[in-house]
Amino acid sequence: MRGILGSAVGLGVVALATAAGGSAQPSGQQVVLPGPVPYPTDSPPLLGKTALPNAYLGPLLHIASGQRVFVGVDSEGRVARVVDRQRLLVRGKGDYQVAISAPVEDVRAAAGSESEPGLRADQVLWAGFSPGRKVLAADVILRPRAAEPYLPVRLKVRRDGDRVTLTATNATPTGEMLYAGTTSPPELARLLDETRRASLAGRRLAAAYATFVGLVRVPKQKVPIEAPLRVEGELRLPGQAPVSFSRTLGDGRPLSFRVAARGGGTPKVHLLVRPSPVVRLLRPPGAETWVQAVRRRSLPAPFLLRRLIETRMRLVRADQYQSFLSDPDVDGRSRSVYEYDTLAASASPGVSAAPGDVGGGTSALLVVAITLGSVVLAGGGLVLWAHL
Amino acid sequence: MRRSAALLAGFALIAVLAGGCGKQSAASGGNILVAVDVPVTGDPYIAQTIKHGVQLAASNVSGTSGGVLVGQKSYALKTKLYDNHGSARQAVEDTRSALGAGAVAILTDGTGAAATWQLAQQKGVPVCITYDGASGLVDPSKRPNVFRIAPTDHGIAFRYAEYLIPKGLKIGLLHDDSGYGQEGASDLQKAFSRNPRSVALRMTLPAGSADLSAQILRARRSGATALLAWAQPSTIAAVLTAARSIGWNVPVYTPPTGSDPYIRQRLADHPSWIDGLTFASSRLTAEVGTTPFENFEAQYESAYGVDKVGVKTSAGQPVVEPPEFAMYSYDCVNLLAAALTRAGSTDPRKVQAALNQVTTIGANGDERGFNQHNHEGVVDDDVYFARFHDMTYAPVKDDPLSSTLPAIPQTR
Repeated sequence: MRGILGSAVGLGVVALATAAGGSAQPSGQQVVLPGPVPYPTDSPPLLGKTALPNAYLGPLLHIASGQRVFVGVDSEGRVARVVDRQRLLVRGKGDYQVAISAPVEDVRAAAGSESEPGLRADQVLWAGFSPGRKVLAADVILRPRAAEPYLPVRLKVRRDGDRVTLTATNATPTGEMLYAGTTSPPELARLLDETRRASLAGRRLAAAYATFVGLVRVPKQKVPIEAPLRVEGELRLPGQAPVSFSRTLGDGRPLSFRVAARGGGTPKVHLLVRPSPVVRLLRPPGAETWVQAVRRRSLPAPFLLRRLIETRMRLVRADQYQSFLSDPDVDGRSRSVYEYDTLAASASPGVSAAPGDVGGGTSALLVVAITLGSVVLAGGGLVLWAHL
Repeated sequence: MRRSAALLAGFALIAVLAGGCGKQSAASGGNILVAVDVPVTGDPYIAQTIKHGVQLAASNVSGTSGGVLVGQKSYALKTKLYDNHGSARQAVEDTRSALGAGAVAILTDGTGAAATWQLAQQKGVPVCITYDGASGLVDPSKRPNVFRIAPTDHGIAFRYAEYLIPKGLKIGLLHDDSGYGQEGASDLQKAFSRNPRSVALRMTLPAGSADLSAQILRARRSGATALLAWAQPSTIAAVLTAARSIGWNVPVYTPPTGSDPYIRQRLADHPSWIDGLTFASSRLTAEVGTTPFENFEAQYESAYGVDKVGVKTSAGQPVVEPPEFAMYSYDCVNLLAAALTRAGSTDPRKVQAALNQVTTIGANGDERGFNQHNHEGVVDDDVYFARFHDMTYAPVKDDPLSSTLPAIPQTR
């Protein structure tokens, strides 16, 4: 909703600005820059197939959303299970009645929740009264096939003899339209500094405008824009030391990486993925700030404009991945961490288990052993009884 | 001739356009039966208010709204009243009769629901409880056809623990030996289990006994500084009588039965004994304001008149009872109508499934609805506390939710 509304507003402003340029006015015009919205795609946040009931959020209430998305993958890196542990922190006194749309298979209250979540077809419901502060936490079990396309990283695990290779790829790039025109380098430098400050502080972008003189051109070619991701984790093989890694995918760095390990047995992958700020692409060349850089040497305006728009688009894309499930408060702060783990071979895809409970092999073996033991004991008992 | 033909053609066109643009009414599909099983001869006030809520909603749906749209047809909602006498055995008989009559849903105060739900489930018929808050009655996984719109014992007990424990009171937890009292005691036990120091004593009272002097004296000697009495209205009246008549002005807290007109009628000669009595129930107004409830109350009163308590304030104004439990049965029927439309069928099983997916605006302006995991239409957070003064009650000011609620006028 936030994305769609923002998209409409953003496009409207750009269209107005373009029309004004078309009327051959030489004076400057304010053109809206990307951020904080629109998001370039509808999802994330995930959407379900059913219409949401009317939401109500007391005028004094604010809701922040923190999410840990548990992604269970099979031995080849394919997504088999997705569980989003969403923790909503309601602040303020008043009523709330909200629904979160997603491809929901099931939901249950998570530890620390002060209320029980409701479940409808493709909806998680929360309703109640906040006396000032209230925690609403749920494990939302999602349909893996429906959620998978919106996960930020794709994994591929390949075995070749005793060599196992893990490839992690940033799956967030999407084509976006840039715009170009005659602009002022000092103004762009100031805007780049503002954008950098917001990025380094982890703040959402504030709306910003740049002054264009004459026509605003929109090149036909879309450019791929990714959410920069911080990826940390390890690849582990039985009996071997784990191979650890820590990379940023995007922000001017490669969008995928590969790590390898040697050994037998089933490889286990563990990854933590976080949308990260734009750092590298916002670093001023040869100066402390972009304003100083522009003063020291001539940086071409088209370069500055493109860098400004592209980095802001990356920050918007990263912000989009902070809400794998929507925050019912459109102005609320939302943070998401994605945790990928290899599921045990015995865990059947789609079967829900507690997030983080990625073992299960031991208990399955135990059940089999107990069953076999019981059969043997019963058989032995029968034989003994027959001979008494 | 040409002009006549042109006029005719014009009228024909207008007629066609009018037909095309006008709202087409759906064909009548007949009646849908909703059974109402309440203790007409056991607890006439509760029975009557539930019945009126159902009839008001059914009449609105069938009259003002032109019937319930189910698929392509419009149906009228008809109600049939059964008297369970407050007896589970009679409730089973009533359920059999209602199912035999083709009821698509059964509304009940909750009497015998633990036994009747299975009968109803055999035909997929949903059962909606609008009074009894006992915890075991509603369980979406084991009793998928049982729904409830009424404050739950669990919610009331935990809200009381949340409200009373910080006050540092030593609470005497009393309950009577009726089914209602025992169910409530079970939830109180859970709610106060983490703070045993707050509890001065636990005691079972004989339901229906007019003299509880010995029990109340024992409670006083235990060091109790407050009494929480989970009991039938007659027992609560007896608790107040016993405490006040020995000059013990201990605060008394109760579940929703504390607002039953019976208590005020019984103690009409001693209005001061009622003062300070606090009860818990579900709030009558939502954050959107009092207008929705006032509209509902006005509709209710124009159809059935006011529910007179039978006592007066010190200024001589007659006291009336707001239609609280009528609101729940009213909302239940509206949800049923929404589920029928969503199901597109009068098949009770489809209606039961659809009840998990629909929301309506309740009589108090709050949204009402169930879901696949929760068949409670009143959330625990909505439990508030109200205190009597001069035969009428108002929300307390020392609880975050209650302090936000307005007082509902109770005099006419």
